[in-house]
Amino acid sequence: MIKGRYFPAGSARVVAASLSGTRDRLVLHLENEPDAADAKLTSVSDPIAGVPRKLTFADGGVFEAPLGADVDGLLKTGGTFFARLTRLEANLGLVAAVAVVTIGLVFAAYRFGIPLLASGAAAITPAPVVAAMDRGTLETVDRAVFSPSQLNAGRRRKLQAMFEELSQLAGDDGPALRLELRQGGMIGPNALALPGGTIIVTDELVGLAASDDEIAGVMAHEIGHVRERHSLQQIYRVLGIGFMVGLVGGDASQLVDDVVTQASALQALVYSREFETHADLYSVGLMVKAGRDPLAFVGLLDRIVRDAGGSGETGWLATHPGTKDRREAVRKRAEALDGAGETAQE
Amino acid sequence: MTSSETAVASREVPAYLEFSFTGRALEYFGIWIVNLFLSIITLGIYTAWAKVRRLRYFYGNTWLDGHNFEYHARPVSILIGRIIVVSLLIAYNLLVSVSPFFGLLIFLYLLAFPWLLNKSMSFNARMTSYRNVRLNFRGSYWGALLAFVIMPVVALLTAGLLFPLASKLSNDYIGRHLGYGSARFETRAPLKALYGNLGSTILFVIMVTLVCAGIGFVIGSSMVSVGNMIEKGGDELLDVLTFGPITGALIGGYIALAVAYLFYAAGVRNVAYNHTVLDGKHRLTSSVGRLRYVWILVSNLFATILTLGLLRPWAAVRTWRYLASSTGLLAAGSLDHFVDEAAPEGSVGAAEFFDIEGIDFGL
Repeated sequence: MIKGRYFPAGSARVVAASLSGTRDRLVLHLENEPDAADAKLTSVSDPIAGVPRKLTFADGGVFEAPLGADVDGLLKTGGTFFARLTRLEANLGLVAAVAVVTIGLVFAAYRFGIPLLASGAAAITPAPVVAAMDRGTLETVDRAVFSPSQLNAGRRRKLQAMFEELSQLAGDDGPALRLELRQGGMIGPNALALPGGTIIVTDELVGLAASDDEIAGVMAHEIGHVRERHSLQQIYRVLGIGFMVGLVGGDASQLVDDVVTQASALQALVYSREFETHADLYSVGLMVKAGRDPLAFVGLLDRIVRDAGGSGETGWLATHPGTKDRREAVRKRAEALDGAGETAQE
Repeated sequence: MTSSETAVASREVPAYLEFSFTGRALEYFGIWIVNLFLSIITLGIYTAWAKVRRLRYFYGNTWLDGHNFEYHARPVSILIGRIIVVSLLIAYNLLVSVSPFFGLLIFLYLLAFPWLLNKSMSFNARMTSYRNVRLNFRGSYWGALLAFVIMPVVALLTAGLLFPLASKLSNDYIGRHLGYGSARFETRAPLKALYGNLGSTILFVIMVTLVCAGIGFVIGSSMVSVGNMIEKGGDELLDVLTFGPITGALIGGYIALAVAYLFYAAGVRNVAYNHTVLDGKHRLTSSVGRLRYVWILVSNLFATILTLGLLRPWAAVRTWRYLASSTGLLAAGSLDHFVDEAAPEGSVGAAEFFDIEGIDFGL
């Protein structure tokens, strides 16, 4: 028998009461009322630490068992999922074990799970959606930043031909590649790749280049972004990180949200750096295939950075790896490819 | 009737009842980490159950006059709400990235906002009970449009001078449309007190800025030696006098502005609660220390980040306990007479939308 209190249906009035019997036939006995009544149980609140169990009956009345009362014993519901969960949550040793496993899971999800899911999601994103994203983005940046290219027709044709040559070598595994030339306006010498294969190179970048190989290297780098689906992966990774953070601090206040948003922006930068490095390496491979100088574009990057007043060091907050590190990595890759090529020829 | 006699007798001396929270950080840590674990291995599906369990823990361990609160939402309906909201958000983001033209949907959203808000408040109120009687919320479209869409914009346009008016409208709106069973709440936050709170907030920002400027001065002057100063002459002295304090003031001002809304919101809560009456006679009270509240949230933030989230349960319990213990009810007589009544059920989709977007109207 459990002594507790009873609320009549829809009322805040409380009456001392006791509950006895078995799961199949519960008997509710209200104080000040001589007759005990059979009570038809409709639901029982799940157990959770510190909260009294409440049993709701068919007539809408609610019996509240005091804390610690053995409701599960009376109803024979000790084996339910939440009954087990509540015992687990109260067992410090098990909680510690769950904590260790969870920390491992969070780390693994962050380090491997999210990048893996992101690249999977990027691969299955339907081509029409990606193409539409390109159109939308190009429309927006054309209105906001760019103006039509001022290069003369001959120069434009030569650049298109060079791009064509690189695209052919890059193969057609993925969206069709397309070069758009624009005047950069406020973003100056720059090149960007949209997920659907549109690659934009600004007049200012072409103007700053000392040789065609330099421009070709940048184009090859952007082609690398497209072929390895970096933009899409980036979108999905940021989503994934946001989701994870939501899981850990889901009940957090606005203040935490704000800080966390900053933190995920920072995280996006770290990811971009990884992508930049990959695109550099892709560029080297493609340039070697095209018989062009794979190191040339690093010189162009140097000049862009100098123009922008940046430093050659890898800044903690920088999206792009510092040009010093970059040149080193590119040179190593080129040497490795070169060596491989020579051995293959022998 | 004895009950009406006690009601008459106690109208003269209302009983002060204090809210209290009996949850403990370690206890909640167990619940939190198990929730997190199950959410990860189910790829997020369990988050709906986790939310219900979290709120049942916090509501259920909150007590007033020997009775606790209850949260009643069914995890399955929360899950359905989340699936709908997440699908809509993904669709919206896809549409916007396909064509910026779809950004215009934001106007549709603003028009739907009052309706969504009412539906969400109805759901959350309806899922909350105390002493077997549920809360309810009956909003009006135009009232919500004025209080939550038009007024915030007007307040921003007036550089914040009308923030207290916006706070009054939103709090009065919530209070006026909230009910406990068949009894109604009524909030009439006085503008004068709300403007006083804005004044204190501005003073708070200025004080923090000045204190940080002072700290900057101390740090700045400790970085140069006297010998150095003699060698280089007046320039160095000038550097010390300007650089340290200005840097300090900039950092301090930035931090103060970032946390000013916490300070302000705590003050608004006090004013609004202290002028909220239930059933025409029971009065809510709130005595949140504004500086203390800012301190609790800021230190929680650092504790949470420095432990990569592991102290989040401790922080959540700490905040909830402080807010509960700062809240009370001046009860004019017994709380036995409340009865439940049918009320709008609201929409779980709307409630989950606000939850996922992190829009929260409570404190």
